[in-house]
Amino acid sequence: MVTQADFARYLGMKGPVKRAHAPLEADTLRRFVQATMDTDALHHDAVHAAATRYGQVVAPALYPVHAFRPPAGSPDNLASVQQDPNADGTYGNDGVFFGLEPIASPFKRLLNGGNEIEFFRCLAVGELCTAQARYANVLLKDGKSGQMLLVDIETEFRTEAGELLLINRQTLIWR
Amino acid sequence: MTAAALAFNTLAAGQVLATVDKGVITTAHIMRWSAAVENFHRIHYDQAFATGHDKLPGILINGSWKQHVLVQLAKDSVGPAGWLWRLKFRYKKMDLAGDALRAVSRVVSTRAIGELGFVTLAIELLNQADEVSTAGHAIVVMPAHAGARVPYPFEPAAAHREIAFPHED
Repeated sequence: MVTQADFARYLGMKGPVKRAHAPLEADTLRRFVQATMDTDALHHDAVHAAATRYGQVVAPALYPVHAFRPPAGSPDNLASVQQDPNADGTYGNDGVFFGLEPIASPFKRLLNGGNEIEFFRCLAVGELCTAQARYANVLLKDGKSGQMLLVDIETEFRTEAGELLLINRQTLIWR
Repeated sequence: MTAAALAFNTLAAGQVLATVDKGVITTAHIMRWSAAVENFHRIHYDQAFATGHDKLPGILINGSWKQHVLVQLAKDSVGPAGWLWRLKFRYKKMDLAGDALRAVSRVVSTRAIGELGFVTLAIELLNQADEVSTAGHAIVVMPAHAGARVPYPFEPAAAHREIAFPHED
């Protein structure tokens, strides 16, 4: 059994400010919107975009959560599946915690409890974004099937110049 | 139909504001998405791993892909003069390769504050059997009347934050 006090130190804890490996490139955006099957000219047509209030080609509003990739020269994350036939291929993927210190707990099963996102502006081609996550809520609860840990991770995405792009609040449930 | 052709004061609760129909999502579509965002989780392309190791019923369509469909839906709902301000959703059911997915938004409520019209939408992602796999709400902002404009970047005022998501979220 664990108690709420075991998790007190995590509440409000912030991770490092992570910086995308590169500014948003037009071809990266092309691949992204083709994969989401979004044909909005705002995301690929510079002439069209220039006539809008955005003034330039911008990414879909939620794009920044995917802007963080391993830079060239970094260790190959897929080495994990060469070394372990049961590896799931997610080694090195930090798209939820963004460098936050992992919460030490006895719970093994992780569920996504949903997302709440607030949007302020879009990332434009040529802009580089940053992300910083914090534990906004860490709550131990007693459920019908035993204890569970509810964790809200709130991640702020900004341009390199500090302009707020979006805030993503994701709820994780450990059982 | 999208809100681009609609005026804020004509919106009514229950009205369908936009639909986004993605058709059948195959393993090729899932692979394209996984490669685009460099998510190499094997449940999205390795049938033996998904069904054998993880005991899933098949190759899973990425939740990360589905949330972008909801963003597109909300954006289409409000049109080019509007702004998707807030989005809240939960995954309720898995979607598998071969499922045909579409998303629908419906007006829940409206509220004008000054020049801005705030529209709360119910948003759903459904499969070919009309089963809802992802659901939630969006709050979008549009001009409250002709001549008004939504500022960009959108910086909400304290009065705007009084608009909350419905309690069922």
